[in-house]
Amino acid sequence: MRLVVRTIKSKLNIWAILSLIFIAIILIPNGLIAVNVFTESNENWQHIKEYLLKEYITNTVILLSFTALFSMMIGVSLAWFVTMFEFPFKRFFKWALILPLAIPPYIGAYAYHGLINYTGIIQSTLRNNFDVTVNQDYFSIMNNQGAIFIFSIFLFPYVYTITKAFLQNQSSSIIENARLLGSSSFETFFRVILPISRAAIVGSVTLVVLEVLNDYGVANYFGIQTFSTAIFRTWYGMKDLDSALKLAGALMFLVIFILLLEKFSRGRRRYSFSTTKVKPIQPKKLRGVKAWLLAGYCFLIFGVAFLIPFTQLLYWAFLTFESVYSSEFIQLIYQSVFIASIASILIVIIALIIGNYTRLHKSLLTSFISRVTTLGYSIPGAAIAISIITIFVALDGYLADLYQTLQMEPVIILRTSLVMLVSAYIIRFLAIGYNAIDAGYEKMGNTYTEASRTLGFSTVKTFFKVDLPMMKPAIFGGFILVFIDVLKELPLTLFLQPFNFATLATQAYKYANDERVHEAALASILIIIVSGIFIFVSHKLLEKEPA
Amino acid sequence: MTRFVRMSLFALLILSLSVVIAACGNSNTEETDSEDTTASDDAGSEEAGEVNLYTSRHYETDQALYDAFTEETGIEVNVVEGSGDELIERLNQEGESTEADLFITADAGNLHSASESELLQPVDSDVLAENIPEKFRDADNEWFGLTKRARVIVYDKERVDPSELSTYEALTEPEWEDRIAVRSSSNMYNISLLASFIELNGSEEAAAWAEGIVNNMAIEPQGGDRDQAKAVAAGQADVAIMNTYYIGGMLNSEDEEEVKVAESVGIFFPNQDTTGTHVNISGISMTKHAKNSDAAIQLMEYLSSEASQEEFAAANYEYPVNPNVEVTGLLESWGEFKEQDLNLSVLGENQQEAIRLFDQAAWK
Amino acid sequence: MFVQIKNLQYQYKNAAEPVLKDFSLTIEQGEIITILGESGSGKSTILRLLSGLETPKSGSITINNDVIFGGNHVMPPEKRGVGMVFQDYALFPHMTVEKNIKYGLKKMSRREKQQRMEEMLELINMTSYKNRYPYELSGGQQQRVALARALAPAPSLLIFDEPFSNLDANLQIKIRDELRGILKKTGITSIFVTHDQADAKAIADRVVFIEKGVIKQVGKPEEVLGCASLVMWANS
Repeated sequence: MRLVVRTIKSKLNIWAILSLIFIAIILIPNGLIAVNVFTESNENWQHIKEYLLKEYITNTVILLSFTALFSMMIGVSLAWFVTMFEFPFKRFFKWALILPLAIPPYIGAYAYHGLINYTGIIQSTLRNNFDVTVNQDYFSIMNNQGAIFIFSIFLFPYVYTITKAFLQNQSSSIIENARLLGSSSFETFFRVILPISRAAIVGSVTLVVLEVLNDYGVANYFGIQTFSTAIFRTWYGMKDLDSALKLAGALMFLVIFILLLEKFSRGRRRYSFSTTKVKPIQPKKLRGVKAWLLAGYCFLIFGVAFLIPFTQLLYWAFLTFESVYSSEFIQLIYQSVFIASIASILIVIIALIIGNYTRLHKSLLTSFISRVTTLGYSIPGAAIAISIITIFVALDGYLADLYQTLQMEPVIILRTSLVMLVSAYIIRFLAIGYNAIDAGYEKMGNTYTEASRTLGFSTVKTFFKVDLPMMKPAIFGGFILVFIDVLKELPLTLFLQPFNFATLATQAYKYANDERVHEAALASILIIIVSGIFIFVSHKLLEKEPA
Repeated sequence: MTRFVRMSLFALLILSLSVVIAACGNSNTEETDSEDTTASDDAGSEEAGEVNLYTSRHYETDQALYDAFTEETGIEVNVVEGSGDELIERLNQEGESTEADLFITADAGNLHSASESELLQPVDSDVLAENIPEKFRDADNEWFGLTKRARVIVYDKERVDPSELSTYEALTEPEWEDRIAVRSSSNMYNISLLASFIELNGSEEAAAWAEGIVNNMAIEPQGGDRDQAKAVAAGQADVAIMNTYYIGGMLNSEDEEEVKVAESVGIFFPNQDTTGTHVNISGISMTKHAKNSDAAIQLMEYLSSEASQEEFAAANYEYPVNPNVEVTGLLESWGEFKEQDLNLSVLGENQQEAIRLFDQAAWK
Repeated sequence: MFVQIKNLQYQYKNAAEPVLKDFSLTIEQGEIITILGESGSGKSTILRLLSGLETPKSGSITINNDVIFGGNHVMPPEKRGVGMVFQDYALFPHMTVEKNIKYGLKKMSRREKQQRMEEMLELINMTSYKNRYPYELSGGQQQRVALARALAPAPSLLIFDEPFSNLDANLQIKIRDELRGILKKTGITSIFVTHDQADAKAIADRVVFIEKGVIKQVGKPEEVLGCASLVMWANS
């Protein structure tokens, strides 16, 4: 009994309480969906099983596996080149290769389809100047292969950045040893680099896989039937929310399976090894053909994944600028940046709190909590939106009662404010912020915190005086990642936007949804530019930081 | 003790932060309204000068019309733009507490299912009854058409002679094998098209039609309606099933290649000697729990009036529903045509069955 | 008895066996104790229990008549007045030497803090380094700063976790003599944890030899070390 009291007392601190509250907020919508999987199925579900499920699963698995493979190949190879070698324009590519992250895959899909379809610049040039008409079959991107291409080129930066960060933290001695033992660069790569960075690679590829699973825009535009398009078909087309939630639940279990797989493959390995300072890796200077080959490879990827689609969008933006531009765009930029900042700041704060709790109290409960943060990433945005609306309608009911008892004018109606949208963002993107923060905590280790505590400071004071300042790079990195994701976010924003509120992403979607892709370009370009600026600035700041 | 105080302070900080955001959110909406609106909604806004609108139409001219309405009546129009399906679901979830007074969406099927879900309320207005023909209105006056759109056959002017074309049904004949382009069955326009066939020809024939089209497809369904026109221009297919207004949009595109595509194809209104060409609407409805119903009716009437109908339809090269408004220019050049004689509610009623038939026919 | 440790038990989660079984020890004021043992013997765990970074399953700890652990009562680390010098020093990298040393000083005026800091710097002979950042110091200097930081708030007990393991051999000898000098000068009670017998011999008043969570022998360095080396040799 005494032990129980003591255990509860010792575990119940501010970090635990706040963490549990946040986790509950995330679990409620997920729980609503999970429960639905086990409810009785109706006739629609039979129909789905009979005619559709097989194709959904096949297509989804094809998209996932090939995107995982290609984004990994591109991301890891680039990370390796950039950390291990010195070649022309490396300083530029180092951050420029993150830029494709600024292009939402659905917008990239519009751009590429626009580029190579019948009226696109390539075909029209061939046709008008050289009188060549090509076989359309070779110029179609609206199929599985096309979707894999789009996902791979716009999502590989996840793999690239995370693997690069990991390699940069590695001791040079590992690589130097391998070199001294007579391994060539290639051998070193396969025998040393790949094995030691496996955890980082698997972790980042998991992020890519989750993005693909959750994609609706690309699959819908290309007419590919995946799990998430199926959810919407069932929900909106058949008006069958129950079956849609069943599919969402199935998707969620698939994600949990993937996450477990990732955890098992990581095993007891950690992303970082020690807190003691090590000599950073000295890149090898390359000369001549080899150096230019590497530069060429980087340029190729950069061109395909950023320059080409960006130029296409820029061209469209010029075409339609007069008809589309209005002073409203300033407002749009302001609103988009405003809400993305608020959401990112809150996500980082919550991630810091939960991260601090789980690292200071290692237990089954905390490892469960840290897994739960990823759940929001696993369900389609629209499904989160539904649960959120349900919850907020109820909350507003309580508030209304409260106002009445207090006999005061309603101060806030949550539903019509941005609170609802921000909450949804938090549930959706906490995983991204938490990953970054958690990696930061792991890199920092616990000794500094322990030192501070033996010097007479509580965990709360220590958090502000020691943990926070030391976590600056991780906080900043997490903020940027979340910010860019929120800026690109579509389904939640569309569903939960308050009156007279729009973001650049919804603006782009509005046009694209009416097949006015050209008109969508200006808003898309602005998303890319704002994200690009953030990527650039964060890169510059993190470079300065003494590692 | 002080430890507890510190903890509470920290918790308070978090809490107050969230309140600040709440306030921010509100003030933000108000900023754009330029008038204090949102917060006072529930309290009762009879004196109100505002109406809240959910719409799935995204045209600059719409906003211009709302502005003109505000100028005329002093009633502010607050807008949430989204996709039709999502807005219906949002109304559904918000229930009684919704802020929306009006709902505008494309497709009678969507409007019907909103009404089936008891999200709408009947509107009794002589003006609307006069401006909008009966078949473009809900039988219970729960929704009203604002614009018409026709789903037609588009053909390549060189390879296809319009005399070869007759009906939608004829496209399932063997002579059209490998010659048809049409988009995915997830699309609402296709669902409504098949729903109309179910009503006119019965389920069996509708199912056979879907199968016949799948057999004759030249390419797998992909992309939007504009992509079907491009497939015809590129020679991948000879005919496409699509809505007329996309051709209008392409003819007026800034991209001259798109203009060329649109010029290379012709528009054929099928079933002129039989059931008529499939038409659908985009329409307006009042939500069941509308709080500003008087202002809402004013806006509905305004949008159906001759003065605004022309602009409202022209924004997207659609046909106005108000029969007193003449079509001009491009639409006039396409000519007049016989429409399906259906009350459009059936499009909604048959929607689920249509989706099942598509799936059974393996129409992607 | 200045420090009284009674029947401490500790078991890590998911571990089959307790890492500490029934550990008891008393320490006199001003005494320097070395806990000697191999890795995995549970010696570092004792430090973590004393400082409050981990909570024992049972037992009690009293320092200077204050019960810091026992029964329902668990005093959090920040209240215990137990200073600790970490194996990797854990100097805050975002603070200068001066800030690091001042960090633990509370309830003092600004002038008192400054004075105490200067005092500490003089004690470790590093007055000219106060504006340096930790990464600008050598390993030995970092350790001395870590010592100064731990000493500054005048803890009732100071504990060291493998303090010499990160230093090279000749530096190690110099530093540990220096360290013993400083500790004796301040008269502070301290506990060292080490696996190195030479360290134990050079610095301790009394050595506690521990194996698999159980005390095997306690006594003057020369008494204990012969036995300890035999056991450690046999196990190696």
